[in-house]
Amino acid sequence: MKKLAFVLALFAPAEAMAQQTGDLVSFVACPVYRDTDSGRKSGCWLSDDVASGNRYDVSQSPYKPDAGFEVLVEGRVSAEPPTACGAAVLAPVRTSRLTTPCIRHIIPAEQYKGRKYVLPRRNNDPMGVPRPAFTGPFTDRTFTTYFEFGRDFIVYQYDDWLLDQAANWIRQARPKKLVVTGFAATDPVVLSGRTLSEPAELAKNRAEMIAQSMRRLVPDIPVETAVQTGAQPTDEAEADGLPGQSRRRAEIHAVF
Amino acid sequence: MEAPGGRKWKRLHRQPELCYPQDFTGFNRVRMSSQLPFTALKFRRLALFGAMAMAGAAVAVSAAGTAKPDRWWKPGEGRVFPGQIDYPNEQGSLRTIVVGAPLKTKGHPFFEPVGSNGRACVTCHQPADAMSLSASSAQRQWETVGPNDPLFAAIDGSNCPNLPQDKRESHSLLLERGLFRIQRPWPVKQYNGDPVTPDFTIEVVRDPTGCNSGPGRGPQAGNISVYRRPRPVANMKYLLATGFPFDPKQGYALPLDPDDGKPQSGNIMSDNRAGNLRIQMEDASSSHLQIAQRLTPAQIRQVQDFEMRVYTAQQADRNGLALNELGAEGGPAKLRDSQPGALGSIGKPVWSEFAAWEKIAPADAAKMTPEQLAFRQSVARGARVFRDKTFLIFDSAGITTQMGFGNPVRNSCVFCHNMSQMGNDVAPGQVDLGTTTLPFADPRADLPMFRITCLKAPHPYYGRVIYTYDPGFALTSGKCADVGKITLQSLRGLSARAPYFSSGLAKDLRGIVDYYERRYSIGYTEQEKQDLVNLMSVL
Repeated sequence: MKKLAFVLALFAPAEAMAQQTGDLVSFVACPVYRDTDSGRKSGCWLSDDVASGNRYDVSQSPYKPDAGFEVLVEGRVSAEPPTACGAAVLAPVRTSRLTTPCIRHIIPAEQYKGRKYVLPRRNNDPMGVPRPAFTGPFTDRTFTTYFEFGRDFIVYQYDDWLLDQAANWIRQARPKKLVVTGFAATDPVVLSGRTLSEPAELAKNRAEMIAQSMRRLVPDIPVETAVQTGAQPTDEAEADGLPGQSRRRAEIHAVF
Repeated sequence: MEAPGGRKWKRLHRQPELCYPQDFTGFNRVRMSSQLPFTALKFRRLALFGAMAMAGAAVAVSAAGTAKPDRWWKPGEGRVFPGQIDYPNEQGSLRTIVVGAPLKTKGHPFFEPVGSNGRACVTCHQPADAMSLSASSAQRQWETVGPNDPLFAAIDGSNCPNLPQDKRESHSLLLERGLFRIQRPWPVKQYNGDPVTPDFTIEVVRDPTGCNSGPGRGPQAGNISVYRRPRPVANMKYLLATGFPFDPKQGYALPLDPDDGKPQSGNIMSDNRAGNLRIQMEDASSSHLQIAQRLTPAQIRQVQDFEMRVYTAQQADRNGLALNELGAEGGPAKLRDSQPGALGSIGKPVWSEFAAWEKIAPADAAKMTPEQLAFRQSVARGARVFRDKTFLIFDSAGITTQMGFGNPVRNSCVFCHNMSQMGNDVAPGQVDLGTTTLPFADPRADLPMFRITCLKAPHPYYGRVIYTYDPGFALTSGKCADVGKITLQSLRGLSARAPYFSSGLAKDLRGIVDYYERRYSIGYTEQEKQDLVNLMSVL
């Protein structure tokens, strides 16, 4: 109960003060796809917070919605003007696909152009491009990857980049072993009238997913797995300051 | 111990002047780099010897016994494979080149009938058909040789082995759709025989071939028969190339090759059941060739060596004009000389080989007929349409599911056909375009229909119950979410190997465009459709 109260407190200010830049916004809703066309991947994803009546542009999530299912939106109000997609912009933002079906709603671009696609910062170079070199001495270090709510899938241009960074360091540091700990946000959260919590077994699945990839990326280093439920937020930079995102993680601990 | 083929390969390496014997004039137009194969670099210094080799190749061809050998390569006939060989087709002509040729095929396991049914690899991977097999070639063999041609072997060259093999209708899927029977184990097994517990059940709804029901046939008997087109055995370095360390569609780092420990491309077979050429060869030799014993390591090395040296692409258009003129870079030599695995969106754009034809100088245009000029301009436009005409891609597992792109996502043909020079997928290419699964697949009374029931989570788009002609990748992974996923093919040599898609759904190039238009409501104009057809005809 104490944990529930803590998590609820994380989200409560967002509901009350969603209009200020930097404020955290979290809600569950059906997504709307605005069919803007500024070239590839330029469509807009919108979602309405029924509690506040605000429509948000959630297009900048690394994992984008499916028009046929509800999404859990977690983001911060951005100072970016609503000119690209026609709604207040959340950035950073995450849009986790839930299992509740929605009516697929695709609206025309109207006067909006969306955003021309640019490669994200978290984008892997081709394998032939040399990775950064590190010099020792090396000591224990932890790398973290993040997941969509309720899923264990390695997200393209997010997790794969984080794992590549980790593997590059590990190849050079040569730790004795890796311990991959999967976390699950099992403490319930009430949002938009829904109680959301991740199943405990997801922690194990996440650990196994990451461990499998590490076994392939650094095949000569032993990999062990561990699990932790009731995951709490962290302030790791690659979670982009989103508490919910930071809870849904796996940690790769390089042990010397 | 070294096999005869191994000795021959060594000998050829000592004679690099025999490389590219009939490609002398074209080769000088190719920019060389330090990344080119050893033999290619040698050739630059040995151009004079190359000219001599041209004459040598001609002798080699004539030594096979006729001035103009038949376009059908029979197993064990002992032809010499020249450095380059051209075959006409309805859209112009296809060129196949073999690095290090001429190659004596006598005794070579790719060309010899090593199994019990008289077939060789070349039976279904014909040089005239871009190292695949067209339905028209199958029809030609039926008409000229009849049911005793090893091509129509009961094991998979007929709709089912228990049918009367002398009847044409028993081979209808091969003759009309270019389809071979592929028998997969059920429940699913990995390439090494390890069992996979599928998260779905499979039932046979309709069995027009009779090969999924009756004694010893079908899921109840431990097997499932699907029908698929043979994939081209050429331009292999592109199919084996790995561009990035992850398979974004499956959410893992690339699997490692059990033989050499290197990451695997996942682009060899339509259902990705074999991750390297050795496994593919063992699978094919035991099923298609009915070999009694396993291929020897020496035979595997010999076949792999050959497959890594074969390049094929259309070389001349339907007007008889070369595809590497006026700055264009069509034809197989470009494939031979380029580095594989590059993503077109961050490097050389896909099909930019024809960009020079976007602006043909008036002086050059004046040398062509209006039809010739218009065709080249159409090809250049088609390349642009292929890359730039975006549309909403939706409900296509492997693209719009878990990767993060969203569903729908706006993109163009190069979203998936993204590898420079080849148009296959740089990442492992298992995607569901709907070509084998309802409601997207066209109705096919000639194919078996299966009902898949997902036991855990329903399929994200099809739901819990799925009707499919071919579960595709799901017969390898055992996952309901993979039903209907088929590995993207390369787009080279299309004019030589109709029909198209793994199920032979499209009988011609226009059929490909029409399928995509139906599937995604793209809104191509008639001009754009024709431009795409013309583009595909010259690849």
